[in-house]
Amino acid sequence: MNTTQFLLTAWDWNPLVLGAFAIALLAYGLFFFYGAASRLAQEVGGLAATPVSPGKPGALALGWTVCLLTLVSPLDVLADNYLFSAHMLQHLLLLLIVPPLLIWSLPAWSEKKARKNQTLWRRVGHGLTHPLPAWVAGVGAMWLWHAPALCNAASSSQFVHAVQVFTLLALGALFWWPICGPQRNRRLPVLAGVLYLFSACVGCTLLGILITFSPVQVCSIYLHPSDPLGILPLIRNQWNMTPDIDQKIGGLLMWVPACAVYLSVIMGMLLRWFAIGDEVEAGRAVHSLNGSSHEKIS
Amino acid sequence: MNGAAAMAMPAQPAPRESWLFGWIATVDHKRIGILYLFTSVVFFVIGGIQALLIRLQLWSPNSHFLSPDAYNQMFTMHGTTMIFLVVMPTLIGLANYFVPLMIGARDMAFPRLNAMSYWMLPCGGLLLYFSYWTGGAPAVGWFAYAPLSESAFSSSPGVDYWIISLLILGTGSIAASINLIATVLCMRAPGMSMRKLPLFVWMNFINSFLIIFALPALNAAIIMLLIDRTLSANFFLPFHGGSALLWQHFFWSFGHPEVYIMALPAFGMISEMIPVFSRKPIFGYPFVAASTVAIALLSFGVWAHHMFTSGLGHTVDLFFAAASMLIAVPTGVKIFNWSATMWGGAVRLTTPMLFAIAFLIQFTIGGLSGITFATVPIDWATTDTYYVVAHFHYVLFGGSLFGVLGAVYYWFPKMSGRMLSERLGKLQFWTMLIGFNLTFFVQHYLGLMGMPRRVYTYPDFPAWAVLNRLSTVGAFVMAFSVAVLLWNILASMRGGKLAGDNPWQAWTLEWATTSPPPAENFTALPAIRSRRPLWDLAHPESPDQPLDTAHPEKIPEKNQVSMLTFIASEGFFFLMLITAFIYYNFQFHSGPNAGSALNPALTSVYTVLLLGSSLTFWFSERYLHRGNHHRFRLWLGLTILLGLVFIIGQGREYAHLLREGVTMNRNLFATTFFTLTGFHGLHVCVGLIGLAVLLGLGLKGQFQTGRIEAVRSLGLYWHFVDAVWIFVFTTVYLVGPHL
Repeated sequence: MNTTQFLLTAWDWNPLVLGAFAIALLAYGLFFFYGAASRLAQEVGGLAATPVSPGKPGALALGWTVCLLTLVSPLDVLADNYLFSAHMLQHLLLLLIVPPLLIWSLPAWSEKKARKNQTLWRRVGHGLTHPLPAWVAGVGAMWLWHAPALCNAASSSQFVHAVQVFTLLALGALFWWPICGPQRNRRLPVLAGVLYLFSACVGCTLLGILITFSPVQVCSIYLHPSDPLGILPLIRNQWNMTPDIDQKIGGLLMWVPACAVYLSVIMGMLLRWFAIGDEVEAGRAVHSLNGSSHEKIS
Repeated sequence: MNGAAAMAMPAQPAPRESWLFGWIATVDHKRIGILYLFTSVVFFVIGGIQALLIRLQLWSPNSHFLSPDAYNQMFTMHGTTMIFLVVMPTLIGLANYFVPLMIGARDMAFPRLNAMSYWMLPCGGLLLYFSYWTGGAPAVGWFAYAPLSESAFSSSPGVDYWIISLLILGTGSIAASINLIATVLCMRAPGMSMRKLPLFVWMNFINSFLIIFALPALNAAIIMLLIDRTLSANFFLPFHGGSALLWQHFFWSFGHPEVYIMALPAFGMISEMIPVFSRKPIFGYPFVAASTVAIALLSFGVWAHHMFTSGLGHTVDLFFAAASMLIAVPTGVKIFNWSATMWGGAVRLTTPMLFAIAFLIQFTIGGLSGITFATVPIDWATTDTYYVVAHFHYVLFGGSLFGVLGAVYYWFPKMSGRMLSERLGKLQFWTMLIGFNLTFFVQHYLGLMGMPRRVYTYPDFPAWAVLNRLSTVGAFVMAFSVAVLLWNILASMRGGKLAGDNPWQAWTLEWATTSPPPAENFTALPAIRSRRPLWDLAHPESPDQPLDTAHPEKIPEKNQVSMLTFIASEGFFFLMLITAFIYYNFQFHSGPNAGSALNPALTSVYTVLLLGSSLTFWFSERYLHRGNHHRFRLWLGLTILLGLVFIIGQGREYAHLLREGVTMNRNLFATTFFTLTGFHGLHVCVGLIGLAVLLGLGLKGQFQTGRIEAVRSLGLYWHFVDAVWIFVFTTVYLVGPHL
């Protein structure tokens, strides 16, 4: 089998993984309709809802496309059986690319009756999306799934793999909520957001360094792949991916491109913050007076 | 100093003090700024003389003007002096003087801390130079590569003095940075929101974060080196299981951000001068400001490009090459913005503007040669040649120092009340420009021809002698230029033209007060509605678009800000030590290891006690807030007790290990164990002393009338000490045995 044949044939429509995908899709749908309903209520109640940003439908489509491709394309086959670096790419896409795109594409909603009749559901939501637990969720997901035992389990058991996919998406969503979540009034102030992302970047850099320079294989399962497709010679001889290089690339992916993601978001936030016109500022101030009372101002 | 002091001294509140005492005991940010600048000038002259001696030695091939050893000492001291005793203090000094003025503040957030930061500078400088009398200055380069810097190869105490001096200077810089961050966050005048900060202030603010995060890496590395040298450990000695490569990783993870630490404030100066002398607001403020953050963040991720020849492997090299090239993007954005600011402006070619323009060109040249290094094969061919020397002098001298020289001409009128002579200034600029380019441009060719750096002489190859002589002539032209500058300063201080408040018709707040400013800085501040308050004042008919008028910003509490930044810096220090522990314990060592020597069960009991002390402190703080001082003291006492039990527990474990013969230099497990837990124990002890002071003050009833923020800040520190222990305990006791 050569590379082209491999890329054309190795598509994996695994029901368990697709199940995790479906649950995520369902959860997203619930949030989406909650948000849309809250917008509608605002419009009916005479409050002007914030206009939909033109990029949002694009982000929505891109997010789900990347998510599906990550799970069924040859990348998943490589990640499941052959290459640690492919696993890492999948991991990063599911944690750092898909969730922020999807979270950002949700319709904005604000909570007016913030203090009174707080349901348990809402309190749990607020607790989880508080910056500290959210940060721990995002950075913890990275570290946890690279504990050797869990990493091996995810590659050998389809069920654990499905759990992994789902938790990465869910914890990623928690992590990105304070940055680009639909509740504008619960987003972090810009400079605090920069620190939030920078410290997360430090956390993932450390893990990346550890993996890159580690003398032992983090996921020992990739040392001797079971090779169900018979493409091991292709990988080892034509792609020149030895286990050592494979792990180095995996660590470096987590180190350099992952940080580039955080950095790009930081840049986007700062540029928006600096460049934002005063009219928008004034509009936001009025909005926040009508809306919740606990908006933090940087 | 007398002249400088007498002229630049702000109005003296207590006339009976002698001027000397006034300067030594001062806590005024303006005087401390001048002290910083004066000290750097002294060391600049010393470092410059060293450079001249180096150039004289290289005047002719096979020269014996300096002995090889003297030459090694000379370039080590030249590098260390210029970086730690000239560029950094100059930048911090200018920030000290102008950041409070530009944000409309009365002083820095912590004036006494500010004085301490300054006095650590002469202290560190004297220690470094004292090494000449102890058997020779360090001769290992400013990067002190191990194992050359280990006692087996550098047995005289020069390197020890270098280490101690750098520790002192580094601590001073961190303290100054914490102070700057607290000043910018908490001392801004009403209306001066974060989005309106002058770019010089913004870049110093970002730079302070670079300093507090980068210097702990250096501190950890040199402390480990000091442990090697004085306690015969083997961190960096490869033939005893250590790793010389880890020194390079640690050093450059400080060393590369350090390059930007020396560049960012100069960027800030340029960003102030170019708009003023082009009579246009800065082009693309958001891009200039945001790209600063990008540079700062990227600078932490590219250190390995200093190590392309150390055998990291192809994959690692490739990623770092890509990341290093990425830094050129935000830097390029800045260059374009500065150029676009000048485009179409009414450019006034005053001396500061000339320096700013030269900065743009020379820094771009240095940046371009920097990109060539990011290309791994070119780096392999040119590393350790004069091509590198040319590159970093274009960045640091042609860039940073030209920016600083411009800033001196720009701000001298504010500091002294008198203008520097433009005639002498232009003479200085042109001689400096010619001297600088003559000295360093030819070194590109020497490097490409293969002349190695850090070697005391060279063979008589074709053209080498001629090019080296050109370089030496250039160095002397620069020396003449510096003499002109010093003469200009002295002469102008006595007879210069009076400056008035705002000689350049600039727009930032430092020009809204007298020159020199009074001790309290401002009698009245103009309204701050946009980024150019003095433009709005002078042109009420066409003011800038106002910013952030809708709601005032919430100003954080300065004690907490400073404690949190200090904790962040300390956190990075522990991060380095934990990394070292993991790194060294991954490998097999004969003798004791974490599995055989430690007792995790017993230590987990002490861990619970230490973590419990965070809880008791939380209770004590709650009672203080409720005004129940009896309960406050009770719970505080319990906190101290728990902390003491933990320390005693650690002491017992140490005693047990020492009885078993597990001493610091036994093997790398023992070394890393004692270093990591020892530094944590030290922090616990510091915290306990702080808590005991609180208890003492509490018993005297000090907190009846407020001052609660002191308790809260110290509490943050105590929680931090406990939180660090969670990581240390996990690494050493839980993961350690399985590594």
